Amino acid sequence: MKILIIEDEQSLRDNIVSYLNEDGNICESCDDLAGAISKLASYTYDCVLLDIGLPDGEGFAVLNFLKKQMKEESVLIISARNSLDDKVKGLNTGADDYLTKPFHLAELKARVDAIFRRKAANSNNRLVFNEIVIDLLGRGVEINNEPIVLTRKEYDMLLYFIANKGKVISKNAIAEHLWGDEMDMHDNFDFLYTHIKNLRKKLLDASANDYLKSVYGIGYKFSAV
Amino acid sequence: MKLSAHYNKASIIVSVTVLLFGAVIYFFAINYIARNQLDRDLDEEIDELFEFINTYHRLPEADFNGDQTTFFITDHRTATRFFDAPYQNPKEHKPENGRAVEGSVILDGVIYKFTITISRDSTEYLIQIIALITLILMAALIVVLFLINRYVLNGLWQPFYTLLNHLKIFNVSENSGHQRLITNVKEFEELDQAIATMSSRVKSDFQNLKQFTENASHEMMTPLAVITSKLDTLIQDEQLKPDQFEQIHDIYGATSKLARLNQSLLLLVKIENNLIDDAEVIDLKDMLTEKIRQFQELVQSKDLHLIANLISRKIIISKYLADILLNNLISNAIRHNIHGGELSITLYDDKLAIQNTGMANAINADHMFDRFQKGKRSEGIGLGLTIVRNICKMYGWEVTYSQDECMHTFQIVFDPSLVG
Repeated sequence: MKILIIEDEQSLRDNIVSYLNEDGNICESCDDLAGAISKLASYTYDCVLLDIGLPDGEGFAVLNFLKKQMKEESVLIISARNSLDDKVKGLNTGADDYLTKPFHLAELKARVDAIFRRKAANSNNRLVFNEIVIDLLGRGVEINNEPIVLTRKEYDMLLYFIANKGKVISKNAIAEHLWGDEMDMHDNFDFLYTHIKNLRKKLLDASANDYLKSVYGIGYKFSAV
Repeated sequence: MKLSAHYNKASIIVSVTVLLFGAVIYFFAINYIARNQLDRDLDEEIDELFEFINTYHRLPEADFNGDQTTFFITDHRTATRFFDAPYQNPKEHKPENGRAVEGSVILDGVIYKFTITISRDSTEYLIQIIALITLILMAALIVVLFLINRYVLNGLWQPFYTLLNHLKIFNVSENSGHQRLITNVKEFEELDQAIATMSSRVKSDFQNLKQFTENASHEMMTPLAVITSKLDTLIQDEQLKPDQFEQIHDIYGATSKLARLNQSLLLLVKIENNLIDDAEVIDLKDMLTEKIRQFQELVQSKDLHLIANLISRKIIISKYLADILLNNLISNAIRHNIHGGELSITLYDDKLAIQNTGMANAINADHMFDRFQKGKRSEGIGLGLTIVRNICKMYGWEVTYSQDECMHTFQIVFDPSLVG
């Protein structure tokens, strides 16, 4: 996947680039509107990560540019502004998703993958990870061609882990992904343990490999090996 | 009492007093002048009498010049003296008030005391007419004063009331400028000018402050994003020791708390400025059912006994705010609950009540809706109930808290202006 990251905060940009760069992605980045437009004018990307507050203008200009040029790039807005208006404006101008800062890199990765999958949904709606096959439209999971039944949260978690395979994901990031920030689950990770325990058990019961590893004190890692 | 009524009262009291004094003085002055006039007339009569006696050397008849004149023989001279005396009208034969003069005259060595009486009737009539006119004038003046005070003064003060209304409906978060007053009264013009200046300054200050809060909160989000992404990157290093991971975990917690605090502050700013105006008709029953489903896990984890009595109730509210409102109330009711306690959510036609068991006296009820007030054991950020209160205020509802031993109750009483 070819990704363009438009973000003016250098340290954040670097982290995003290094996080997304693995997993067979190619990331390019720029820090202002002019650079973004010139890159988008000459190259084609699968996905664009767009910060709205750029030093030389609002990121909406990029959306307008893409629309005018009839380009097919998926756009994920990453903005410090958690305003409903901005969200609506962004999504109406052609953005595919809107992520409010601060966010976890794992969340970003999961969103990028989701956008990409949606874009490719016409050709392929199956996500295959070794012996795990996920039917994205029917939300069904098969392991070694045997269907297993997952709850909504377990299914979400599985997708999240696969999107961030090989990475250590903090408990906070998983909790925020599953419950959103409105639920105020932050001081309580008991639910997370339960869900992860159940998911892991279901995967193992269906004789999948034990991908899910606990990283003591911080979170989990879904590793391919 | 209104200013015009005060003024009315004072001006009428003063003018009636002045008029009464004036009338009394006027009455005495006219009386005095009329009497003087009569006395002058009597003086002339005496001159005529002397002239008659000097010419004819005899006393005239009683009805000298139509006046009643009497003569007595006396042995001493008397000084000329004017006095009031009854007057017998010869034509109508009835007594009238009269004015008389007495004096003495010497004819052929005999001293006569004479008395001349003339009628005071005409001057009295004059005084009566004048008094009547004065009274009528006084009454007319009072009526006119009253009417002037009532209509003209009220009219004069109209710009003041207009300004007062402007001030009453003044909303610092509203963007429309002060509507200028059209008046040719200098004082009101100045007042209007002052209010216009003041309101525009207050508004711009408020806008600046709002902008500052918003900008500050937004500006904090990017550094928070940097911290989060650095931590996300840092934990990929599996060489870290477990206790280092635990430190990082705490940093995560603090960062996300800071982010939530920031978001809550921004939300408060938005609610206080009525920036969220996407109200729609929502059935609260559906929403509560959905919320109860969402919170199921939390409810189960604390072994709470959940009682939900819901009726279909449509309200007009922004879906976004309704979500926050219910989240805050229900998560509070769960968080401050005791293990195995009770949570009851009851939706009535006119109110929503959320009850939970909990510690007695866990919170200070007086300040419970204030910013950053929270129970001793609370892990929250202390803005949840402030947000609840402000959302309710925005829609004209009333949120109340009451505590009965270990039962804490939050009630939202809906405004009567609801769709049924």
